[in-house]
Amino acid sequence: MAGWGSETHMPHSPTVEKLEKQFEELRSQLEDSGKLRERIRAVAMEIESATRLMHSSLLLIHHSRSISDILEKVKQQIGVLRELYNKLAEIIRECPDQYYRYHADWKSETQTVVSLLSFIHWLETGTLLVHTDAEEKLGLNPTEFGLDIEDYLIGICFMSNELPRYVVNQVTAGDYECPRKVLKFLTDLNAAFRMLNLRNDFLRKKFDGMKYDLRRVEEVYYDVKIRGLAANRESAGKEGDP
Amino acid sequence: MASKPQHHRPLAGTTQARQRTTSTNSTAAASIDSNPMKDAFSKYANYLNDLNDKRERVVKASRDVTMNSKKVIFQVHRIGKHNKEEVLEKAEKDLAVVRDQYISRLVKELQGTDFWKLRQAYSPGVQEYIEAATLFNFCKTGTLLNLDGVNAALQPLSDPSMEPLQINMLDYILGLADLTGELMRLAIGRISDGEVEFANKICTFVREIYREMTIVAPEIDDSSDMKSKMDTMLQSVKKIENACFSVHVRGSEYIPHLGSADASFPLLGEDDIER
Repeated sequence: MAGWGSETHMPHSPTVEKLEKQFEELRSQLEDSGKLRERIRAVAMEIESATRLMHSSLLLIHHSRSISDILEKVKQQIGVLRELYNKLAEIIRECPDQYYRYHADWKSETQTVVSLLSFIHWLETGTLLVHTDAEEKLGLNPTEFGLDIEDYLIGICFMSNELPRYVVNQVTAGDYECPRKVLKFLTDLNAAFRMLNLRNDFLRKKFDGMKYDLRRVEEVYYDVKIRGLAANRESAGKEGDP
Repeated sequence: MASKPQHHRPLAGTTQARQRTTSTNSTAAASIDSNPMKDAFSKYANYLNDLNDKRERVVKASRDVTMNSKKVIFQVHRIGKHNKEEVLEKAEKDLAVVRDQYISRLVKELQGTDFWKLRQAYSPGVQEYIEAATLFNFCKTGTLLNLDGVNAALQPLSDPSMEPLQINMLDYILGLADLTGELMRLAIGRISDGEVEFANKICTFVREIYREMTIVAPEIDDSSDMKSKMDTMLQSVKKIENACFSVHVRGSEYIPHLGSADASFPLLGEDDIER
C-alpha cells in the first residue's frame, strides 16, 4: 500500500513546483488590483452618500419652498463631489488606461450625479447641462479621467424621470406656467435623443422610458390648459404656440 | 405572430439609416439655428456611432480568433505516438497564423482606454487563443506557458508607433480554466493509445492548475463566470483521475488489447460506468 501510494503522489515534482511559482506571480498581481479596487470602492461609497444628501435636499422643491434657497444648499455638496472625483482620478492615475477596468465601480453613482447636476442646472437656467459642462462642474480633466458619455446620457434620462413629479407639484402650488416650459424642454430633449443610434442596452431602455415622462407632462399641460388656468398667466396670443 | 418581428427588423434598419443621415446634416443645421442641445447631441451621436462600429469590428475579429484557435486545438488533438513532431509543427504554424492574421486586427482597435472598454467584445477570442497556445505549449514542453510568454509572442504584431497588445491577466486565467477541458480530452485519448505515462503527466499538471485556481478564482473581477468554470474544471480533473485509476488498477487487462483499433471503447466505457 505504502509503495503504491508514493508512486503516484509526487508533491515535489518539478512540474508542480514550477506551476506554484508561476501562479504565485499571478496571485500577487491580482492582489494588487484587488487593493486598488477596494480604494476605488471606498471613494465610490462616499460619492454615493454625498449624492444621497444632495438628493434629499433637492427633494424640497416639491414642498414649494423658495427654489433659490434650496439650490444654495444643494450646491454646497458639489464641492464635496469635486473633491471625491479628484480622489478617484488620482487613484486611476496610478494605472493609466485602466479607467474602464474599474469603471463599473463608480458607474451608477456617476449616473446619479449627472442626473442631480443636470436637474439643478435646469432649475437655474431652463436649459440642458451638456456633457463638457458636466465634466467641468465636477472638475474632471477629460484627458485623464473624463465623464463617460453613456453615463452622462443615462444620467440625463434619470433627470427626465424627475420632471413629471415636479410639474404636478408646481401646478398644485399655483405655477401654471411650468407645464408648458417643461413640455418644451422634454420635447426638445426627446428629439435630441432620437439623433442617437442606440444599441439594445441599458441606455436604450432608459431612453424608451422617457416617453412616459413626456406623456405625463403632456397630460398635466392639457389639464391645465383646458381649464383655462394657463391662460391666466399667458397672454392670449400665445395660444397658437405649439 | 412570427411575421411581426421580421417586419420590424428592416423597419428599424431604415430608421437607423435615416437617423444617421439626419445626424450628419444636423451639424450644419444646428449651426444655423444654433440649437445647443442638438449641437451637443450630434457630438454624442458621432461618439456612439464610432464606438459601435469599433465594437462590431472587434467582435468580428474575436470570432475569427476563436474559430482559428479551435482549429489549432483540433490539430493538437491529432497527436499520436509516432507523429508528435509533425503534428506540433503544423499546430505551431497555425498558431502563428492566428496571431498574424486575426489577433493583429485587434491591436490597432484596442489602443489606450479601449483595451478595457471593449474587453467584453474581444474576451472570448482571446480566451480561446490562450487555450490553444497553452495546450500547444504543454504538448511541446510539458510546462505552462505563462502570461509573459503569451505577450512576448504578440509583441511583433504592433509596429513601434503603437503600444503593444498585452493580454490581460483575467482573460489569461479564464483561458487557462478552459485548458483543463482540452487536456482531459487529450489524456483520455493518450490512455486509449497506450501512452499512460503522458496521461499521468497531464493528470499531475491539471490537478495542480485546479489547486492553484481555487486560490485565484475569487479574485477575478466578475467571478460568476469563473465559478462555473471551476466546476467544469473539477469535473475534468476527476475524469482524468478516474481514467488514470482505471489503467493503474486494471491496466494489465487492457494492454494486450491496445493494439486493436477498438481498444479505446472499453476504457471510455469504464469511465462512464464509474460516474
